[in-house]
Amino acid sequence: MKRLMKTALLATTIAAGAAFAGAAYAQDSVLLPNLSYRTGPFAATGTPLMNGQRDYMTMLNERDGGANGVILNYQECETGYNTEKGVECYEKTKAEGAIVTQPWSTGITLQVLPKSNVDSMPILAPGYGFSAMQDGKVFKWAFNPPASYWDGASMILQNISDGNLDNLKGKKIALLHLDHPFGKEPIPLLETLAKKHGFTLLPIPVGLKEMQNQSAQWLQIRRERPDFVVMWGWGAMNAGAITEAVKTKYPMNQFVGIWWSGLDADLKLVGDAGKGYRTLSWSYPNNESKVMKDIKQLVVDAGKSMLNTSTGEFDWVFYQRGVLISAMLAEGVKEAQKHFNTKVVDREQLRWGLENLDFSEAKIKELGLDGMIPPFKTTCGNHTGHSGAWMLEWDGTKFVKASDVLQADRAEIDALVAEKAKEYADANQPWPMNDECKL
Amino acid sequence: MEFLNSILIKPFQDMVAAPDFLLQVLWEGLVAGVLYALIALGFVLIYKSSRIFNFAQGIMVVFAALTLVGLHEKGVPALLAVPLTLVVMFLLAVAIERVVLRPLVNQPDIILFMATIGITLFLVGFGELIFGGENKVMITEQLGIPTGSLTFEPFGGFVSIEQKDLTAVIGAVVLVAVLLVFLNKSKMGRAIRALGDDHQAALSVGISLSTIWILVWFIAGIIALATGIVWGARAGVSFALEVIAYKALPVLMLGGLESVLGAIIGGLAIGILEKLFEIYWGQPLMGGNTETWFAFVFALIVLLFRPQGLFGERIIERV
Repeated sequence: MKRLMKTALLATTIAAGAAFAGAAYAQDSVLLPNLSYRTGPFAATGTPLMNGQRDYMTMLNERDGGANGVILNYQECETGYNTEKGVECYEKTKAEGAIVTQPWSTGITLQVLPKSNVDSMPILAPGYGFSAMQDGKVFKWAFNPPASYWDGASMILQNISDGNLDNLKGKKIALLHLDHPFGKEPIPLLETLAKKHGFTLLPIPVGLKEMQNQSAQWLQIRRERPDFVVMWGWGAMNAGAITEAVKTKYPMNQFVGIWWSGLDADLKLVGDAGKGYRTLSWSYPNNESKVMKDIKQLVVDAGKSMLNTSTGEFDWVFYQRGVLISAMLAEGVKEAQKHFNTKVVDREQLRWGLENLDFSEAKIKELGLDGMIPPFKTTCGNHTGHSGAWMLEWDGTKFVKASDVLQADRAEIDALVAEKAKEYADANQPWPMNDECKL
Repeated sequence: MEFLNSILIKPFQDMVAAPDFLLQVLWEGLVAGVLYALIALGFVLIYKSSRIFNFAQGIMVVFAALTLVGLHEKGVPALLAVPLTLVVMFLLAVAIERVVLRPLVNQPDIILFMATIGITLFLVGFGELIFGGENKVMITEQLGIPTGSLTFEPFGGFVSIEQKDLTAVIGAVVLVAVLLVFLNKSKMGRAIRALGDDHQAALSVGISLSTIWILVWFIAGIIALATGIVWGARAGVSFALEVIAYKALPVLMLGGLESVLGAIIGGLAIGILEKLFEIYWGQPLMGGNTETWFAFVFALIVLLFRPQGLFGERIIERV
């Protein structure tokens, strides 16, 4: 009898467990994978970004039960920033039912760009990828909000020329860049602007194996004596360059980086010696914002985050930029839910959501992201949104704001976008255009 | 004509016109060369004694440097962290011998090579699990390594020498000297060389294969730590350090896989020549970044004339 009762109890427990699990399984969710790189030579840059992305999604799931009751299933597929592995991850996550891909490298983005048309897969590449993806009529499935690399190049030049690019006439600007699609991305715009405004552009490539030993590049800088060094660096290249700049005694106030060249940990390596180094950034950390407080309480303090609290990573520009990237994706999902009056959105619906992102001042406040990102708005014709960006300056211990929001020169960029988008479409025929878009 | 001038005459005119700059280039090349030689030595020692091409040498550099910095972060004084790191590297050598190499004795070379790829993957995962992937600051000052720079003004110009680079060069020279004395004068050193010369003969006179393997992997660990400290002091300690191991490959092609002297001379030659080529030919004529391929092309040209490398043993096979 006793044995029978035990068996009955066990059976009831299993049945209840199964029912509970079934209910949990039945809860609606959308798969939002991230092609992450927490390993390899770029891990130092990637890890805080991925942590930020992951923690925002966890916070939304904890606080709001996801997006309107739909769990945001954030998953990572490790690429090590390797293009081949990135393409494998794209295929794997697509097969698992992903409704978006976040390729996290310009090289991977360029590889999956043609596939996205065939697979109807939205590509979300915030602040990276091919700048011409701005043209939503040509790149129906690709998004690079809130600013493209060409926006970044234009804003950096405006800042170093005090707002008038003609002031750069006769000057020499070195572009210290990773010898990789990412690093080469600003060159077309910079070449155009160099011709128009009469400055000399000196591209200085840094190979992957030379990232940690850039003495040759900095000897060239010593010999050529450029008026400014603009850095398009990623991962270990940034720390290597900043260390060499200190060693070469290059004036830090003439050394400016794109937004991926502003990792707090890289500057901490040189500390006070890096004072005056500036980096453009479309994000700014604000621990007092509602979102960051919620993440602290519901994710970090609850032990659900992977971030390294001993290094102060929570305060870093990159960690909080990761938060913003996930906020863009989550808003895309919510916009699609509202517009299509559905809960579980599909790829096509998310695509619509991403091309209708409206991060107005009011929306940024409503989301609890105060002061963390300038306003921007995407449309079917403009997949970038052009938020503008701040110039941040290293004060020896942290990055502080060193400018108001800068804006890119749209006229120059739009012309180049139209030209390069057409060139891309012509070279990849048959290339489907988004003819429904009339903007 | 102008093209020939830019290749054959102008670079030398530039060298003469700015001799201080040339000295700086040579110094930077020498520093890089010493570091390449250090990495190559790690490969050579293991290959000499066991015929294993150790793919894990790069990750051993990362692992040793991360262990040192990690121990210091946990509150261990820097000068105590160094011997403790060496203990960790010794334990790693023992573990590799017991778990990976011993079961694979007498297997073809390619199997052992693949096993070192396995060790690499394991150390990448294990290292990231323990230390995380972020960039860490090398404890340069805590180790007593000077961080200032010395400036000279030869020929009316200036040459700047980082004290940590100078320390690296001196440290590497001392390390290599100690290693050469050990290999040539000590009983264990001779045993390592004997194994390199003839496995079967060495075993027949009672040399213990497992002891020697542990020893050479431990020595490779010491070299990895020295390399990790030096490179880490330049640009931080992260998994990106692993990439620099690939710089040793052309050094090995040039110097020969079995020659300690080859690793040293090959490293120095490649360090200095690739820097000179990049600055005076690569940057003005080819848009720069020739360091990614110069060493391989140079090594290939040498191999055309000496297939065994500059100091490798001539392979004679009778058929």
